[in-house]
Parts: sequence; C-alpha cells; structure tokens
Amino acid sequence: MPKFQISKEKLTDGIILLTVKGFLDAHTYEELEKVLDELFDANSYKIVVDLSGLDYISSAGAGVFIGAIGTIQENDGNIILLKPSPNVREVFDLLGLSQIFTFADTKESALNILK
Amino acid sequence: MTIAYDMLKDKINVESNTRFLIAVRDFVSRMIRASKIHREDENKVILAVDEAVSNIIEHAYEFKEDGSIEIEVEANEKEFRVFIRDSGKSFDPDSLPDININENVKRGKKRGLGIFLMRKIMDEVRYNFRDSITNELLLVKYIK
Repeated sequence: MPKFQISKEKLTDGIILLTVKGFLDAHTYEELEKVLDELFDANSYKIVVDLSGLDYISSAGAGVFIGAIGTIQENDGNIILLKPSPNVREVFDLLGLSQIFTFADTKESALNILK
Repeated sequence: MTIAYDMLKDKINVESNTRFLIAVRDFVSRMIRASKIHREDENKVILAVDEAVSNIIEHAYEFKEDGSIEIEVEANEKEFRVFIRDSGKSFDPDSLPDININENVKRGKKRGLGIFLMRKIMDEVRYNFRDSITNELLLVKYIK
C-alpha cells in the first residue's frame, strides 16, 4: 500500500470531500498541505476530510489542520473530520484539538453541519 | 513468587530522512508487542518515538540526509525504555515552554507539538549531550 493517498471529490453546495489514506506524518504531510492550499486558491473553504482510511497521524499531520483552520474560519468555512480511527482520534485528543475541530460519524451529518 | 523476565533489547539505525519513519514505527511496534507494555499504550509510544526522530531530522540534522539515528529499546517488566541517539546539532527542548494549543491554533502555529506529545505520553523524557558528539534522548514508559 502507498504510504499516503489523497483524493478529492466535489459534493453539493461547493463542499469538497477529501479522502486520505495511509500514514500522515513528517514525510507525507506536505501532500495534504498542498491540496488544501489549492482549495484555498480556488476559494473552497467548506471541506470534509474522510479520515476512516488513515492508519496513523503524527503532530506533523495534525499541524496541517492547525495551519488550515484559521484560513477556513476567516472565510466563513469549516472543516469536518469524518470517522477518524481510534488511533488517529487519540492524537487529536492528546493535543487538545478535539474541542477545536468538528468531528462527524457519517458523511450525511458532516454535510448537514456545513450547509 | 517472582517470575524472571529477561531484558528485551534491540536497536536499529536509520538515515536522517523522514522516509525511514515507517521503519522506526515498525521497529517500535515490534518491540512493544514483544514486551509487557499495555497494548493501549502502543500507538502513543510509537507516536512519541516518531516525534523524537522527526525532530532530530529537522532540528539536529536540518534535513541533511547523511546523518544517522540510532533507536535502541530496552524493556523489562517495569519499564519500556527507548534511547534515541544522533550526532547532529545539539538541541535542548527543555528550554521550550509547554504549548498553549488554543494559541497555536489561533496563530496557525505548528511548532513544539512533538515535544509536547513526548512529555505528555512518556513518564520520563531525558536528554544527555555526550562529548559534544552524540546527543541522546531517553524516553521511558512505565509498565504498570
């Protein structure tokens, strides 16, 4: 399996679904950062990130979300983190980020939050 | 009755390149599974070691790929100890204050998260700078 995979899908109401798989660490985080920067360049600030296929995240990976959320909120958007595995969620908890980011268990609930 | 438990000990060396973080995590995972550490601590201890090695690549070697990093694990029935050694620039994270995550988010600041995690996850985080050549970081997780 590749170390990190990311795919992008346009949903309704200008919402973008990013699906990330594999390992999001100090080696791979720039790939996600680049995709988010491209979304910001295209004025897309309503984003769902499906984390269900993400096996591992380190602070470098979590840092991408920390770097992005300010820009997203300044532009009246939001970023919803969908279905993280317990290991991935644990890292957000350890960093104290679970109170700051919005999590969803289903794609439908993520979309409802953004609409 | 005391049951004897042999010291578990092994080490690996990797080049100072983030592509070897997977090998570091696999090694630590294998050692954790051979030890008596609680399975619920596995992800956290792997994360702490990953953060330490990532910091060495960034700060001690400044992303130069000709450096070497040694990761040695020693475990007995009471402690899981990870020694991480490098020969890059010495860096004393003890001088860094704990982060305020709300402030980090407000400013989009990503620095210092790795050290914060190491301190939060491990029971001991100790630095030794030997002979101005080798930096040694010791991470200890108690096995309760």
